[in-house]
Amino acid sequence: MQANSSLTFWQSLGRRSFGYWLIFPALFVILGLNLYPTIQGILTSFTNQSLIDPGHSAYVGFDNYFKLLKDPVFQVALAHSLELTFFAVMLQVLLGLVMAHLLIQPVPGIHFFRSVAMITWVLPIIASVVMFRFMTLPGYGLINILLKDAGLGQMARNWFGDETYAFLLVLIMHLWRNVPFYAIAFMAAMQAIPADLYEAARIDGAGDWRQFWFITLPNLRYIILVMVVLHVTFTFNNFDFVFLSTGGGPVNATEVLPTYIYKQAWNGYALGYASAGGVIMLVILVVLVLVCNKFIKGLSEQ
Amino acid sequence: MRRPFPFRRIVTYCGLSIFYIFLLLPIAWLVLSSFRNSDSVQSGRLLPAWSELTFQNYIQTFQISNFVTYLVNSFVIAFSVMVLTVFLGSLGAYALSRFALKGKRLFMMAALLPQFFPYVLVLIPFYVLMSNLNLVDTHVGLILTHTSLTLPFALWMLTGYFNAIPMELDQAALIDGCSRFGVLFRILYPVAIPGLVVAGFFAFVVSWGDYLFVSILSQSNETQTLPIGLQTFMSSLEVQWGLITAGTVLAIVPTVIFFSIVQRRLVSGLTAGAVKS
Repeated sequence: MQANSSLTFWQSLGRRSFGYWLIFPALFVILGLNLYPTIQGILTSFTNQSLIDPGHSAYVGFDNYFKLLKDPVFQVALAHSLELTFFAVMLQVLLGLVMAHLLIQPVPGIHFFRSVAMITWVLPIIASVVMFRFMTLPGYGLINILLKDAGLGQMARNWFGDETYAFLLVLIMHLWRNVPFYAIAFMAAMQAIPADLYEAARIDGAGDWRQFWFITLPNLRYIILVMVVLHVTFTFNNFDFVFLSTGGGPVNATEVLPTYIYKQAWNGYALGYASAGGVIMLVILVVLVLVCNKFIKGLSEQ
Repeated sequence: MRRPFPFRRIVTYCGLSIFYIFLLLPIAWLVLSSFRNSDSVQSGRLLPAWSELTFQNYIQTFQISNFVTYLVNSFVIAFSVMVLTVFLGSLGAYALSRFALKGKRLFMMAALLPQFFPYVLVLIPFYVLMSNLNLVDTHVGLILTHTSLTLPFALWMLTGYFNAIPMELDQAALIDGCSRFGVLFRILYPVAIPGLVVAGFFAFVVSWGDYLFVSILSQSNETQTLPIGLQTFMSSLEVQWGLITAGTVLAIVPTVIFFSIVQRRLVSGLTAGAVKS
C-alpha cells in the first residue's frame, strides 16, 4: 500500500534511481560476503583444493561426497548434530512455554524477572563456556562441591571428560542460552491475546489446561514457527559451544558437523572435502526448515 | 488484571526460582570466584572467607601481555560493526520502505537467505577471498565480515520500523524543503530510535562474541579479540582460573551494561522483523 503511494510521489520527483543507490552498499556487503562465498564453496566441494596450495586444485566430481558418506566420524558428527538440534529445539519450546507462562503471572516483582531474563542470550558464547567448564571442574567445580556437601561425593566426576555427560552439557548450554529468549518472545505473544477469549472460555467452563491448549497455543503458532526455524538454524550451525567446551571430544562424543568440518578444513587442510561437508549441512538445513514449516502449519490447521 | 490466588502465587515463585537459579547461578559463581584468591578457589569450599576476597585477579589480568590489546581490538571492531550496520542497514531500509524499487521482494529474500547458510561452509571461500583482497589479519577485514553477518537482520528489522512510520511525515518534510537524506536523518531516525538501538545492540553482541570468523581471519595479536584471548587463557598449560574468571567478567561487563540499557526494547525489536514481514 505504502509502496504504491510512494511510487507516484517519488516518481513525480523523478529520482527513482536514488533508492537503488541507497540499498546498494548493504546488498553489496551481504551478497558479496555471504552469497558469493557460498556459491564458491559449493564449487569448491567438487575439487580437491587444499589449504597448503589453494591456488591449484582439480575437479574431482562427487568424490568428496562419496568419501564423506563413508567417513565414520562424519556419520557420528551428523548423528550428533541432528540429535542435538532435535532435543535442544524441542526442549527449548517446552521450557520456553513453561517459563513464559510463569512470566505472565502478575505477581509482585515479576518485572525484575522479565527484565533480567535475556541476559544469558547476550553474553558471548565463550563466556558461557568458561562458566560451565569452571562449574564442572573435577577438583573444585561448583557441581562437585555441591554434591560433596550433600553427601553425594561418589557422584562427583570430571563432567566434560565423561562421554555421556559432555554431550548432555553441550545440550544444557544451548538451553541455558536460548530458553529465556523463547520465554520472552512467547510471553510477548501471550500478552497480545485478547483477554475476552479467556473470559469466554471460562464462562464455557474451560479450566486452565484447556484454555492453554485451545486458546494460548493456537495463538502462539506463528511465533513458535519463527523461533523454531531461527533456532534449528542456530543450533545446527553452531560451532562455538562444542569447539570451545570440548573440541568435539572426549573420543568424538560431542563432535558435530560444524566442528568436524572446521577441523577438516583448518587442521586437515582439506578445503574441498570440508566444503562438501558444508554443502551437505546446507542441504539438511534447507530440508529441516521446510519440514518445521510444514509440521507447524499442519498442527495449526487441526 | 485478576489477582492470582496465594496458592498460584507460591507455585509461580517456585517455578521462577527453578528457572532463575539455573540461569543465574553460573554467572554468580563466575563473579564470586573472580574475587577469590587462588587458594580459596581451589579450596573446594562453597563460600570464601572475607579475608580471601581480593582484586588481585583483575590487576593481574590487566598485566597479562595482550589482554588490553584483546580488549581494545574487541571494542574497535564491535563498535565499528555497530555503526556500519546501523548506517548501511538504515540506508537500505529507507530504500526498501520508501522507494519503488523493482525486485524489492527479491532484494529482501536475497538479504535473508544467507542467514541459513552454514558458517563453516562460508568460511572457506571467505578466507580465500579475504586473502586475495589482502584483508586477512586486518581490522577492516573483520569489521566487514561481522557486518555481513549482522546486516540482514538490521535491514529486515529497520524496514519494518520504517514501514510503521506514516508516509505523511516525510512528504510534509519534503514539501518544506528537506532533502532526501534529511528525511532519513531528521524524520525517520528520531522516530525509529528503538529500532536503531536494537539493530546496533544486536550487531555489537554478534561481533563482540564471534569466535569462529576471528579464529580464521585473525592471525596475530594485532587483530585478535577477547573470545580468542579467553580461549587461549583456558587452553594454556597452567590453568589459572582466577585469571580466566576475571577476564571473562571483564568480557561480559560491556554487554551487560549495554543490555541493561536496551533491555526493554530488545524483544519487541528482535521479533519485529519477523512479525512485520
